[in-house]
Amino acid sequence: MTILEASKIYKSYGNKWNKQDVLKGLDLSIEKGEFVSIMGASGSGKTTLLNVLSSIDKASNGSIKIEGNEITQMKEKQLAEFRKHHLGFIFQEYNLLDTLTVKENILLPLSITKMPKKEADQKFAEVAEELGIYELKDKYPNEISGGQKQRTSAARAFIHEPSIIFADEPTGALDSKSASDLLNKLSGLNQRRNATIVMVTHDPVAASFSSRVIFIKDGQIYTQLNKGEQPRQAFFQDIMKTQAVLGGVQYEH
Amino acid sequence: MNINQLIIRNLKKNLKNYFLYVFALVFSVALYFAFVTLQYDPAMTEAKGTIKGAAAVRTASILLVAIVSIFLLYANNIFIKRRSKEIGLFQLIGMTKGRIFRILSAENFILYFGSLVIGIFLGFSVSRLILMILFKITGVDAVASLHFSSEALVQTMIVFIVIYLFIILMNYLFIKRQSILALFRVISSTEGKVKKLSMFQNFIGILGLVLIATGYYVSSKLFGGDFTTMPALFAAMTGILGSVIIGTYLFYKGSVSFIFQLIRKRKDGYLSINEVMSLSSIMFRMKSNAMLLTIITTVSALAIGLLSLCYISYYSVDKTAQNNVAADFAFITEGDATTFETALDNAGIDFHEKRIEVIQVSANLKPILERNLEGMMVDPANMPMSVISDRSVKNVDAAPGETIFTGYSDLLQKFMTLKDSGTIEFKGLHQVIPLKYSGLEKEFVISWYYTAGGSPTAIVDDPVFQRLKQDLDPKVQQKSSLFIGINLKNEQQLEKANKIFSSLHFSSEHGNDSRLDLIKEQKKNMGLAMFIVGFLGLTFLITSGCILYFKQMGESEEEKPNYTILRKLGFTQGNLLRGIQGKQLFSFGIPLAVGLAHGYFAVQSGWFLFGAEVWTPMLVVMLLYAALYSIFGVLSVSYYKKVINEAL
Repeated sequence: MTILEASKIYKSYGNKWNKQDVLKGLDLSIEKGEFVSIMGASGSGKTTLLNVLSSIDKASNGSIKIEGNEITQMKEKQLAEFRKHHLGFIFQEYNLLDTLTVKENILLPLSITKMPKKEADQKFAEVAEELGIYELKDKYPNEISGGQKQRTSAARAFIHEPSIIFADEPTGALDSKSASDLLNKLSGLNQRRNATIVMVTHDPVAASFSSRVIFIKDGQIYTQLNKGEQPRQAFFQDIMKTQAVLGGVQYEH
Repeated sequence: MNINQLIIRNLKKNLKNYFLYVFALVFSVALYFAFVTLQYDPAMTEAKGTIKGAAAVRTASILLVAIVSIFLLYANNIFIKRRSKEIGLFQLIGMTKGRIFRILSAENFILYFGSLVIGIFLGFSVSRLILMILFKITGVDAVASLHFSSEALVQTMIVFIVIYLFIILMNYLFIKRQSILALFRVISSTEGKVKKLSMFQNFIGILGLVLIATGYYVSSKLFGGDFTTMPALFAAMTGILGSVIIGTYLFYKGSVSFIFQLIRKRKDGYLSINEVMSLSSIMFRMKSNAMLLTIITTVSALAIGLLSLCYISYYSVDKTAQNNVAADFAFITEGDATTFETALDNAGIDFHEKRIEVIQVSANLKPILERNLEGMMVDPANMPMSVISDRSVKNVDAAPGETIFTGYSDLLQKFMTLKDSGTIEFKGLHQVIPLKYSGLEKEFVISWYYTAGGSPTAIVDDPVFQRLKQDLDPKVQQKSSLFIGINLKNEQQLEKANKIFSSLHFSSEHGNDSRLDLIKEQKKNMGLAMFIVGFLGLTFLITSGCILYFKQMGESEEEKPNYTILRKLGFTQGNLLRGIQGKQLFSFGIPLAVGLAHGYFAVQSGWFLFGAEVWTPMLVVMLLYAALYSIFGVLSVSYYKKVINEAL
């Protein structure tokens, strides 16, 4: 089942005289339960693509359907409503509210939907156990480590069981140990909950955890790689090779 | 781009941020200039009345300078901190500190003196209006004219130039002390880190509430008779003041967090958007602003209390005058009364005359007093008291062997509370007459000459009165034993009759009074006091409102990333705005509510010293204060709205 379908997306910034095209007629389709990475050099438009897909930014042209809902035509209020139920976010800078405890942060998306408290508690316990942060529930964000913060952020994205989770460089601010720890948890959640994840990253290691990698260059899809049945290490090598071709710079590992 | 362009650009860009600062500056200059203009206005001589009045005006202008300069320095401090990043950047690209200082000073200079000129102009244009208001409330009959005073201009200029120099000095010290690194970090270091509340803090929170409650409790007992000696009363007052102020500080430091923490605990992590925006944010911020909020609250309470008390006196002038002078005109000698009556007849003014014979007895009130009056300078067993016959008073009929008291001031009632009934004794020269005391009437039937400003008058049955009269104790008698009250039939002729009264020059004699004169005199005094306190209160209100607004501006910028997150999570702008409204209700509402509560208890503890009516004037003052104050809350919400809009 196709969960996200984007066709002919254009995005340009600036005015009529000084226009800069970032996305140039990009087509993309994501199936339910996929874990997709979007890679590309700086300035290739990957973050813009994520913003446009996740309704935070408006596309200049084209159509984006998530679970059959056309989001490019929606008004601000409808969009907020849509994000509330269908989308989850994980950001590079964790984006936790420092004045709230871990548990309060994670429960935020549920409080919008006015879910009964008992049910919310149960969901919290499940997701927090899975991510290994249940013991931290009464701590404030500045009392825990970066990796723990990012797992909190991930728990917040998963708790309301959204259709798609968008992750923007989730490992960008983490050391490699915490990063692979987080990615393991993410792909675990992806498999167990059949959750769809779209992740922007420039780190081939992070990308190798996903099932498909989309490479973007100059606002268009350059190529795609499918993991298939091969082991992660082999997939990582593939990604490295493609990246070398794409950027012309050898990634050292 | 050279330095001048940089200054102009900075100015243009900052003007939007500085909008309220400029407004506050203009406003304080205008207020000050208007006030000083009044001070030098020749027409003021009459309103000021006495030397005391002039001194009050001068003191007020000094206080005004104090409020304004503290405010400007504080506001400047907030704004320079907000620009620390910019200053750091200038340093990073190689500008010397001296140069940065000159740029800032030049920028400040333009902003400051521009506002000064506008402020003086505004102050001048409203000074006539203010003068008219003053004349209106003091009841002075003079024409308010627009009068430019160069002395006022010079004084205003000097004061504000001195303040400017202080601001410059502060900026200089600020720039000098900072290194590039520190400049980048300045904001994060001033706001406290988010931490769990410790036991100690919970203790502080509870202690704050207890201290405030204790202060309130003692204040309600202050004049209830528990503190009868002067030193005890004084100690109690100091105690109240201390415990309430310290309590307020601890309240902000701990109690607010403590209470909010309890609410949050109950929610067990499941917070609604309103709670996220208000509770969790305020919990941590109020602590770091505890000192500022305490000052604002205390001075607010002071302003509310003083204004209420002034307004109570002003409002009760008529009633107090009625209690003191029991007729339009009161006389205690036959001769003066006849002279005045003849003059009224000649002028064709109709009147009623009321004659009451008043005798003094020594009364034993001990059996009906709620408490004994130790420490007071009266002996309850031998109290001098005015007695009149029930024949002199309409609508009151005392049975034989019974007495009714009438006309008892609220003030004395607090100190000497009477029981509902009991037996008292009136002592003549030879005999003692026991009487049953059977109640208290509100009305004052004879003037202050006999009642000494509030002690009750006893009404007895006529035969008893005659017996007392036969057996007078000459030691306690007053010079006169006759009260003559003259009431006009037509109140519109009062003004005319009053002129006749003045032209006959009775007033030097004790006990000959015109109620109208008393009212006018009181209105003039109380009106001036009210005007001055009102003026200071308004200045304080606006400056403190501005400071809270500036703080909120800063907070909103700091919390902007949070709004971004929340909007990404799917909260609409409307959701966030409702949360912000809740937050501002607390941010502005808590200091206001605490200030009002302090003011309320202050007024309740001592209002009867000032007048005869408490609720109407106090509520008017409080509502007005709250309304003006909430304007700043509304302004800050609209600022937040802008920030939220830009957040995604």
